Amino acid sequence: MFPVTLAKGFVTVVVSTLALVILCLVYAPSSVSSGALAGSLPFAAVLAIVGLGQMLVVQQGGFDLSVAGGVSLAVVIATHYPAGNDALLLPAVLIAIGYALLIGLGNGLLVGFLRLNAIVATIGMNALIYGGVFAFSGGVPRITTNQLASIVGGSSFGIGNAVIFALTTLAVVGLVMKKTVNGRRFEAIGANRLLARSIGLRVRLYQMMAYVCAQLLYCLAGLLIAGLTTQPTAFQGDPLLLPSVAVVVLGGTSLLGGRGFPISTVIAAFFLNQLSQFAYALGVPYSAQTIIQALALGFGIGIYSLRWPNTNQTKQKNMEETNETLVS
Amino acid sequence: MKLSSLKGQTAIVAAALTLAFAGAAHAEVPSWCGPNKASLALLDGYGGNSWRLVTTASGAAEAALCPSITDYQYADGQGNTQKAISDIKSMAAKGVNALVVFGDAGPAVLPALKSAYGAGSVVVPYRVVVGGEEGKDYTKFVGSSFVDDGVSWGNWIKSILPDGGNVLFLSGPAGNSQGTDELAGMKQVLDDSYVFLNPAPFDVTNWDPALTQQVLSAEIAKNPKIDVIVSDFGPSLVGALATFAKFNRSIPAIATSDGNSLGCFWADNHEANPDFKLFTVATGNDNVRLAVQWAIAEATGGTPPTDKIFKAPVFEDSVSGQPNAVQCRADLPGSIYLSAVMSADDQAKAVNK
Repeated sequence: MFPVTLAKGFVTVVVSTLALVILCLVYAPSSVSSGALAGSLPFAAVLAIVGLGQMLVVQQGGFDLSVAGGVSLAVVIATHYPAGNDALLLPAVLIAIGYALLIGLGNGLLVGFLRLNAIVATIGMNALIYGGVFAFSGGVPRITTNQLASIVGGSSFGIGNAVIFALTTLAVVGLVMKKTVNGRRFEAIGANRLLARSIGLRVRLYQMMAYVCAQLLYCLAGLLIAGLTTQPTAFQGDPLLLPSVAVVVLGGTSLLGGRGFPISTVIAAFFLNQLSQFAYALGVPYSAQTIIQALALGFGIGIYSLRWPNTNQTKQKNMEETNETLVS
Repeated sequence: MKLSSLKGQTAIVAAALTLAFAGAAHAEVPSWCGPNKASLALLDGYGGNSWRLVTTASGAAEAALCPSITDYQYADGQGNTQKAISDIKSMAAKGVNALVVFGDAGPAVLPALKSAYGAGSVVVPYRVVVGGEEGKDYTKFVGSSFVDDGVSWGNWIKSILPDGGNVLFLSGPAGNSQGTDELAGMKQVLDDSYVFLNPAPFDVTNWDPALTQQVLSAEIAKNPKIDVIVSDFGPSLVGALATFAKFNRSIPAIATSDGNSLGCFWADNHEANPDFKLFTVATGNDNVRLAVQWAIAEATGGTPPTDKIFKAPVFEDSVSGQPNAVQCRADLPGSIYLSAVMSADDQAKAVNK
């Protein structure tokens, strides 16, 4: 039998999440009631999808600060173009995807080929996208089409459709990254660009594709938000920027690039969302909620920064990990 | 983008001015419009939502009632405090006689207001408190009485729940003065038999529909009995209210501000939700009209209005039908405000540019 090695990030985030769920069950059982989960899980799903997009970019040693613009643009296109007319929903979705591809290619060209700093390039792109958001909407919200609201807000087999979208996205990202040649090359390039280039891999193309795929995921998240909130604002992506990085960090993906942890990232999204629900259920003041979330993030980063015992064994294990596909 | 946005704004203003001038041609000149010729500028700190578009169009329409106003300009700070300050200064430098300012950035714009006032312009900040003193830093501050909104909501809550009940109050960003004023108004009317379920002073939603939905889910799960929800931005509740269905509970009574989307949501859902009563105060687009009247009166030598602060009138009450039953114009965008003086169709044109 092949040995199954659990990544440190996966173990940490699962243990933390289980501990949080137990805390919720003891101190705030309402936050894990079926009704509360039905209300909050769709937003965890949105965060999970955005986090997966950010993870792809982080794996290439970059940062994508155009998350907010990408999500917001999809929201305004999905609500403004159809203006309540279900028949125009599909064209609106296709337009949103088209724009996401363009933005992703733009980011990818700037970072992958022109070698601009990722933070500078994507923050500039974010400003450009918000230009598009205003051009499309003038900043004015519109009501979501009934069809989009029923697709995203509905449920299948007792599970919210938004959650199903997130799990499907996770399966696709996980399988492509861990089980295909291109996916393995993608991780290898993130881990060591110079080595990857020396063995003939098309490093820049893979880096560009990270931004393209990330924008497609932000677009999906934007479409989900447009369906979940009946009258979304034109800036619905703004609150997602910091959490998108937080879930990647909590999931264990190194900010220096390399191996990605899609399952851990999705669990981290659930963790952050449940942490908010826990704080709401306890009725703590808003300031305390913010502090609790910041502490959780600090805790997450701290865990990975600490030197664990048996450093040699850990190093050896890490080296082995880069050579085999693991449960993450 | 800036250019297209500017063109759009100009088009709205031009349309509003044309409409208003057409109507004003046969109307009497209002008393606040004096004989001296003057130019007027409306300065927004942030103009990018439907409420602001309707408000801007309302301000332009009010200015157009006065033939002494020879020039009308508009600038949008786009949420950027630096730009808002620069807009105020450049309008004053251009010699615009009267400035009506929505000071979103609060006291941060006070030095610019003071400098414009010192340069001889009539300066009227409105709605958002900017600090400073009237007659020293600016001409006149035209506030909005959020305490009165709270009192109106409190009185209605007492009328539908005479024996007390559980109240959930949602407002915008943490510590915003609008929310705390509204709470003070409600507390003037409601005694201890009315229990506020939210953490003091209110549940923070940032007026963001997604956050509102998450907060409301948690509150519904936590509190088996919510008798009335109070929110100071009704339209942001629309998406969140569907959460009650997930708990198999009726939407409770709602006391809030008006919006076409909310009125239409009530029309579609009140029969299936027996406890869903709705009471709204006007969202307050017409606050700008009072500010424009003050600015024009001061700049043209007219008679200033008697009101010094804008009191949002009660707009809808689904229980008494007074002063209005719940309004819904399903044929028009959800993001218009039927409480505003500007007609619904003109608002639709403004937001559908």
